[in-house]
Amino acid sequence: MNSTLPSGPAVRIEGLDKYYGSFHALRTINLSVERGERIVICGPSGSGKSTLIRCVNRLEQHDGGRITVLGTELNDDVGNIDGIRREVGMVFQHFNLFPHMTVLENCMIAPMIVRKRPRAEAETTARRFLEKVRIPEQAMKFPGQLSGGQQQRVAIARALCMQPQIMLFDEPTSALDPEMIAEVLDVMVTLASEGMTMICVTHEMGFARRVADRVIFMDGGEIVEEAPPEAFFTSSRNERTRQFLSQVLGH
Amino acid sequence: MVSLLRNQKVRNALLQVLYVGSLAAMILACVMIARRNLAEQGITSGFDFLYKSTGWDVNFSLLPATANDPYWWFFLIGIVNTLFLGGTGLILATIVGTIVGLARTSANELARLLGRTYVDIFRNIPLILQVFFWYALITHLPTPRAAHEAFGMLLTSRGLYVPIPNVGGIAFAAAILAVIAAIALPLWLGRTSRLSQPFGERLGIQLASAATALATAAVILALGRLPDVPMLDFPALQGLNLQGGLRIPPEFSALAIAIAIYGGSYIAEIVRGGFKAVGKGQMEAAQSVGLSPWRVFTLVRLPLALRAMLPILANQYVWLMKATTMGIAVGFTDFFMIVALTINHSGQTLEAIGILMGGFLAINLSLAAVFNRINKAIALKGNQLRG
Ligand SMILES: Nc1ncnc2c1ncn2[C@@H]1O[C@H](COP(=O)(O)OP(=O)(O)OP(=O)(O)O)[C@@H](O)[C@H]1O
Ligand SMILES: [Mg+2]
Repeated sequence: MNSTLPSGPAVRIEGLDKYYGSFHALRTINLSVERGERIVICGPSGSGKSTLIRCVNRLEQHDGGRITVLGTELNDDVGNIDGIRREVGMVFQHFNLFPHMTVLENCMIAPMIVRKRPRAEAETTARRFLEKVRIPEQAMKFPGQLSGGQQQRVAIARALCMQPQIMLFDEPTSALDPEMIAEVLDVMVTLASEGMTMICVTHEMGFARRVADRVIFMDGGEIVEEAPPEAFFTSSRNERTRQFLSQVLGH
Repeated sequence: MVSLLRNQKVRNALLQVLYVGSLAAMILACVMIARRNLAEQGITSGFDFLYKSTGWDVNFSLLPATANDPYWWFFLIGIVNTLFLGGTGLILATIVGTIVGLARTSANELARLLGRTYVDIFRNIPLILQVFFWYALITHLPTPRAAHEAFGMLLTSRGLYVPIPNVGGIAFAAAILAVIAAIALPLWLGRTSRLSQPFGERLGIQLASAATALATAAVILALGRLPDVPMLDFPALQGLNLQGGLRIPPEFSALAIAIAIYGGSYIAEIVRGGFKAVGKGQMEAAQSVGLSPWRVFTLVRLPLALRAMLPILANQYVWLMKATTMGIAVGFTDFFMIVALTINHSGQTLEAIGILMGGFLAINLSLAAVFNRINKAIALKGNQLRG
């Protein structure tokens, strides 16, 4: 589990099945994400986008198929799960910051406890990433004292402080007011330009056009279409895709 | 002048003055009427009786007590007994409530069912019945001659006999303070460390401070040791009776157990509510950065749950403190019972009830004040609405 590991895809998903009770939420998903690749996943509500990326860091347990992250298979082995979670950062729709810790502490806690970094080093790293998401001056505030956009940027910094190799984003801008969306997307674009492997669930089609290597369209728990953004937006022949696009792009 | 009355601040102040003023007038009227009535009956009012000796005795006291002691000393004994009973009851109720509450939030179905059954049963039986039940059970334990023994303690129908160290009273009190320090110091250090050095880096200092305090306690006990007797005074049968050790009377045990079990069922619900109030998202975020289940619990779930429970817990504690007045039902000389006895023997009804109300107000207001301080100190900063 480190960057000297030989090549191979960052994430390989083969024949993934997921049930909630008797409800078939993901149907035989196959997806491979290369290192440094940027994937955007979109699709109608309830199509299984969140479920899919939450399977990648085991916030959801899959029922069939194989998920391999950075060469390690995700199974019941707790060591594997811990190892993968160290290398996979996640950003949530509702930020999910720890409200009882300062912004700085939010960013330091995992490096200190999980990566066993000394305090001084963790703080330097945290401040560097807060600088990167452009809120270094908020370090000593508490999450409840920040705007939504600021909170989401802290959440990104918190994930980055673990220096993960893969970042998962689950609709990071859909809980934000329009004027705050841009500040979060800017940070994500920067991250993409630096070569981070990213899997983003988002309906920000401008972002998809700009940074995605591939856009994946899901519906009813299946991957319906998978294409580079240009082809996806202009020449999709799939009926469901076209219908969805006409809805999110605004007729 | 009219414009002054339109001012909101002036109006509020005026209302306050009116309110306090009418309250004071009412109290004054009551006192004057009472004094006249008492004077007509030939009862002298006032607090002089506090310095007379009582002429009666109490069945349980942590402080030395004889029938020659004055009333004020007996009131003090009553307050100490109430605090001892309340403190023991609250601690036990908190332990029971935490266990049952955690069972109710557990992923295990059987644990949840057991927890719910517990709460349903004990929350719905009146406290006084539970007190009588435990009292009956305890007074039907074997006689001293056939006592159950466990860890040097004797369990009998006449009470629970526990070993006590053979040390002077002052040394004993000092040792207890040192043990409290051994518990409180690491907690306090851990709290202040959150600002400067987060996340258990001070574990060494915390352990060292606890060890130092415990060692101090041991030294105090060794120095204060009474000469020519063994370190620990074990209760033992002598003739028909038990000698030595400390006797915890059945009245106290019954009350403490009843408060623990009844209060525990309420606290269990508070604990459950606290844990339910913690957002699933925060826990998922903690998992996603790689924290172990234990760390997720101690660093995120528990601290957030505690913040949600504490205000309601404070109410519950005040409520349980007042429940110690059940002591009179089985004859435990708590504050309330001492006051009742005082009224019987001295006839100073108004004064004694005044002292009772003042005492409970002081106890419960201090309890509430302590919890308010804690709440303020740990309150989440800023606006917690999101989305
Ligand atoms: N914990 C759960 N228990 C039962 N069903 C669930 C659970 N989580 C999700 N589902 C169901 O699985 C399906 C996929 O959910 P998912 O959250 O992955 O959708 P999504 O594509 O992310 O939708 P949205 O755009 O609304 O976030 C939905 O039909 C949802 O109702
Ligand atoms: Mg979703």
